[in-house]
Amino acid sequence: MFNRFTGEARMVVNDAVDVAAEVRSPRVEAEHLLLAVTRGSGPVARALHDANLDYEGLRDALRAETTRSLAAVGVTAATPEFSPFVDRPKLATSAKLALERALRVAVARGDKRIGSAHIALGTLRAPTGTVPRALEAAAISRPELITRIERAADDAPPSR
Amino acid sequence: MTIDLTEPESPADGLAAVLALRRLAEQLEAAEVERALRDGWSWPEVAEALGVTRQAVHKKHAKRLIAAGVELRRR
Repeated sequence: MFNRFTGEARMVVNDAVDVAAEVRSPRVEAEHLLLAVTRGSGPVARALHDANLDYEGLRDALRAETTRSLAAVGVTAATPEFSPFVDRPKLATSAKLALERALRVAVARGDKRIGSAHIALGTLRAPTGTVPRALEAAAISRPELITRIERAADDAPPSR
Repeated sequence: MTIDLTEPESPADGLAAVLALRRLAEQLEAAEVERALRDGWSWPEVAEALGVTRQAVHKKHAKRLIAAGVELRRR
């Protein structure tokens, strides 16, 4: 699956594993891929920042989404603290779906390589799930994010 | 008629609640297994309290607790 990924895209996936470990998640979810993109330094990260989405903002939006979803069934809870798992988190279904969607986005656009833009689009184009819900609740427009990332990808097509 | 305030408004909210509860349960398990073992519980006691085999709970948590320097009783 990763043979068409650019070096930058592979770094995003690797960093998503680090993000998951840092937030004590036993698995890498789609939101960790997007968090990894937001804390990168390339044109896609800049496009997201220009649309008011940065690492801290997304992390806060995700926490708020968890709080809100638990509240919907009457549950409030502090995040339990525990010693971290030792094994590197593995890709969960949501992350695999996002990467498959990234692949389809690249094919549809006629791009030969998969870059960080496609990974970001793969998480943002999900019809349901944590990422769309978190952004919606934070009043961050997904269509605007998608437009900006597509523009960034048009200006600097993924290579290497 | 009574209104149940803890009924999710939509399937999207309900399914998101399932996901959030599942993750919370995992985090709570990690925290409470650790607390029990630090308090001197044995693996079989922790396993029985959770309703799983001691192999399952050991496989899931032993490595990280050893790495964290928790003194573990013999299984």
